[in-house]
Amino acid sequence: MIQRLCVAVAIASFGLVFASLAVGYTEQNSLRPLAESYVRLVPHELGAPNVITGILLTYRGFDTLGEVAVLFMVAASVGLLLGARRRPRGTSTRDRASESRASSEIVRTGADILVPLICIFAAYIIMNGHLSAGGGFQGGAVIASGVLLTLLAFPQYQPNLEFLSITESLAGALFVLVGIAGLVMAGGFLDNRILPLGQFGAFFSAGAIPLLSVLLGVKVGCELSVILERFRPKKS
Amino acid sequence: MMELIGSILVLLGAIFHFSAGLGMLRMPDAYTRMQAGTKASTLGNTLVLLGLAFYHPGWGLKLLIIVYFVLMTNPISSHALARAAYGIRIPLAGKTGIDALRDVRRKRGGRK
Repeated sequence: MIQRLCVAVAIASFGLVFASLAVGYTEQNSLRPLAESYVRLVPHELGAPNVITGILLTYRGFDTLGEVAVLFMVAASVGLLLGARRRPRGTSTRDRASESRASSEIVRTGADILVPLICIFAAYIIMNGHLSAGGGFQGGAVIASGVLLTLLAFPQYQPNLEFLSITESLAGALFVLVGIAGLVMAGGFLDNRILPLGQFGAFFSAGAIPLLSVLLGVKVGCELSVILERFRPKKS
Repeated sequence: MMELIGSILVLLGAIFHFSAGLGMLRMPDAYTRMQAGTKASTLGNTLVLLGLAFYHPGWGLKLLIIVYFVLMTNPISSHALARAAYGIRIPLAGKTGIDALRDVRRKRGGRK
């Protein structure tokens, strides 16, 4: 009885909170001054219809580099913590092997069909980052979800960690190099005007933004894949 | 007219989503809950997206791809979850009469 009363009171108070939110909500019709200047500047200066990607990869490009560095540190520390983990005492290797069941045929067939779809979708997101919603980070996360599906459906699959880390480092280095090229040839670090801006809204446009998007997508995808691989139980 | 058909389809989808939520609350064990959630929400999603396609005929192809994706992923994921639940021996509801997976495994012999 008391419990039900408490639940009813909790629901009523939640309802009050949300009702006050809903009543007090007024749609903002005009942009704030900062947002307005960005909305005006990005298509004009950078030639990118997607204002958010334009901001993330040029004006705030340095922040994006920092975020990717944080992700890299996460991958490295996960490797440090889980890579050298010893087996818990008392569980032999054989227990582990029999514990992990093979995935069923439905899951394997589904993964066969879905992984290419996921990869195509990721490439679409990355390549259209400057035109529509998306960009390198999101596309990289989608790539990692495809890798996760592969790891789940085929437990014996072993991704090549060295290849992943070399690709990831290369993408990161190229990202910084493009940034420095912006410093030398255009207005500043990660300035996208080192390449011609092209026609507004076309696939090849917005200067270096698509290039940066691709590098970011490759880097994030590799990093997240390495993290996922690290979280798998070790066989030996 | 198109908008009316679209609205009705979205409403039907919402009803199926509601029944999915109801099934999650009312069903007796993990497997039946999973079944209620998956079946009803798959059809609900499909109907909502179909209704959207009536609203915006231009989005048709993209919505079709999303429907295909939902139809592929939803049953497979719940299948994997249910199998995993069976693998760690989560009990069936008391009224369960037939356990086909157990029968198959018995027939193969040896394996539990």
